[in-house]
Amino acid sequence: MNGGTTGGFAIQGTALTRPYGGFFAVNKVDIAVPHGEIRGLIGPNGAGKSTLIDVLSGRAAVWSGQVRMDGRDIGGMSVQERRRHGMARSFQKTNIFPELSVREQLDIAARQAEKPNVPEVMEELGLTDLGPARARDIAYGEQRRLDLALALIGRPRVLLLDEPAAGLSMRESLNLATLLRDLAQRWKVTVLIVEHDMEVVFSICDRITVLQLGRVLAEGTPDEIRRSPDVITAYLGSAA
Amino acid sequence: MSRATMNLTAGRLAAPRLSHLSWLLLAVAVAVGFGLPAVVGSVLVLTLLTQAVIGGMLAVGVGFLIRQNGVVSFGHAAWYGVSAYCIGLLLRHEVLPVEAALVLALAVPTLMAFLLGLVIVRVPGVAFSMLTLAVGQAFHEFAMKAQAVTNGDDGFAIPLPDTLFGLPISTVQQPETMFVLCWTLLALVIFGLYVTVRSPFGRLTEAIRENEERARFIGYKTVLPRAATYALSAFVAALAGLLFALYNGFVSPEVLHWTLSGSALIMAVIGGSKLLWGPALGAVIFFFLKDLAGNLTEHWPAMIGVTVIVVTVLMPAGIAGSLAELGGRLRKSGGRA
Repeated sequence: MNGGTTGGFAIQGTALTRPYGGFFAVNKVDIAVPHGEIRGLIGPNGAGKSTLIDVLSGRAAVWSGQVRMDGRDIGGMSVQERRRHGMARSFQKTNIFPELSVREQLDIAARQAEKPNVPEVMEELGLTDLGPARARDIAYGEQRRLDLALALIGRPRVLLLDEPAAGLSMRESLNLATLLRDLAQRWKVTVLIVEHDMEVVFSICDRITVLQLGRVLAEGTPDEIRRSPDVITAYLGSAA
Repeated sequence: MSRATMNLTAGRLAAPRLSHLSWLLLAVAVAVGFGLPAVVGSVLVLTLLTQAVIGGMLAVGVGFLIRQNGVVSFGHAAWYGVSAYCIGLLLRHEVLPVEAALVLALAVPTLMAFLLGLVIVRVPGVAFSMLTLAVGQAFHEFAMKAQAVTNGDDGFAIPLPDTLFGLPISTVQQPETMFVLCWTLLALVIFGLYVTVRSPFGRLTEAIRENEERARFIGYKTVLPRAATYALSAFVAALAGLLFALYNGFVSPEVLHWTLSGSALIMAVIGGSKLLWGPALGAVIFFFLKDLAGNLTEHWPAMIGVTVIVVTVLMPAGIAGSLAELGGRLRKSGGRA
């Protein structure tokens, strides 16, 4: 962990509440991720993980509670302002521009960045040779990397990832995990990652927050989470 | 100025590099327009071609909106008609010199479309189409009801001046010369749109069309580019309406009716909107089919309908799209040989 270079938390949610349908998908959740940390966010289906990412990223409005980035209240900021402030995110479903070439869409993303770094991102994510290819024609794993690349343009300070390894093979998932760990350390990016692949989560995260029914069930290091009886009962089961 | 706005401005200023082939094609297209009247000879055919080119320009506006914003307008006759009424009313009341009136007749509908666009482009899919239909019909109703201003259902003759930009007014009323003018303007419009879609602004609007949410999350405000695209397509429709008004010297509520918007959409579907010139090709086919079928039966719209069904089933990308696809295949097979 690179952590805490400027003190405080890179991203912090306080008493966050967000209704979904007839219930609270996120219910008075407190989460605080220090600078440079990779934080895993796990929990059973319907625990509120994606909703929490949506609230933090501005995709879903905060119903009550506060979202802070580097100590600054960003709850009222648009998603574009959050991006300019250094926050980026990826999505549960591949969220790219299918008809544009890989290079074209990264160039478009770079036009909004203070420090455009398209060649660097393409190199890091193994997309260099795919520049002219139309995004919809490349393999699924490559599309997932492109999705991540779009978020990494401009070297964001806070990266919110919603199941980046979804649909990838075990080998691709572990490669992605290694890459994320490496990038987070070198680029000093704070990462909050929602992921169902426990191999990925336990191999790269500094700490893990477990959600259940919209509330924080547990928080700790991967070892602490592995040993937590509450977590074992609620989520991990014998797999832990 | 926000960074998004600055980047948009930069996008507009950074003209894309155009190949020599692009300029050559433009020159050839213009030259064909100048040569065609001599080849065709028949005034009747030239009249039909002039109508087709004006209709084609309206369809190009509709097709551009489909291509760049991914939405269908059922109300582009509004901008066509507002332009026609603008020039008619300005000349009727002798408010401005004709040249200034021409500029205003293009600026008013474009500005109105931009302001409206800021609201309606936020609405997706069918709802957007229905809103455009409602707006178009509102203009039509106004033209019908505001007797004192528009002379209602009867419309009015436009008192055209003797000269226009130093040329005799007959230049815009005789098919031999008006065809050349309309054709040249259509070629320039398509070329201008080609430059636009290849510019950073064009790429951005394509990205927004593809995935608006992702565009927002990489930092773009998406409403302004979409509204600008809508206004640009309205400008093209307004230019068509202006040419129509000058050519016919008459304007009535028909130019605002949804059936005209529907016809333009049919032209765009027949020709295909993926290629900028597709709707113009669709317009030529539409007008000639209408003329041929009209000589055979009063039920000519049924033949247009059958054509639309055949094209959408067999050539989803339209006739121009299919021709381009065929050309691509031939080039590939030629390359392999």
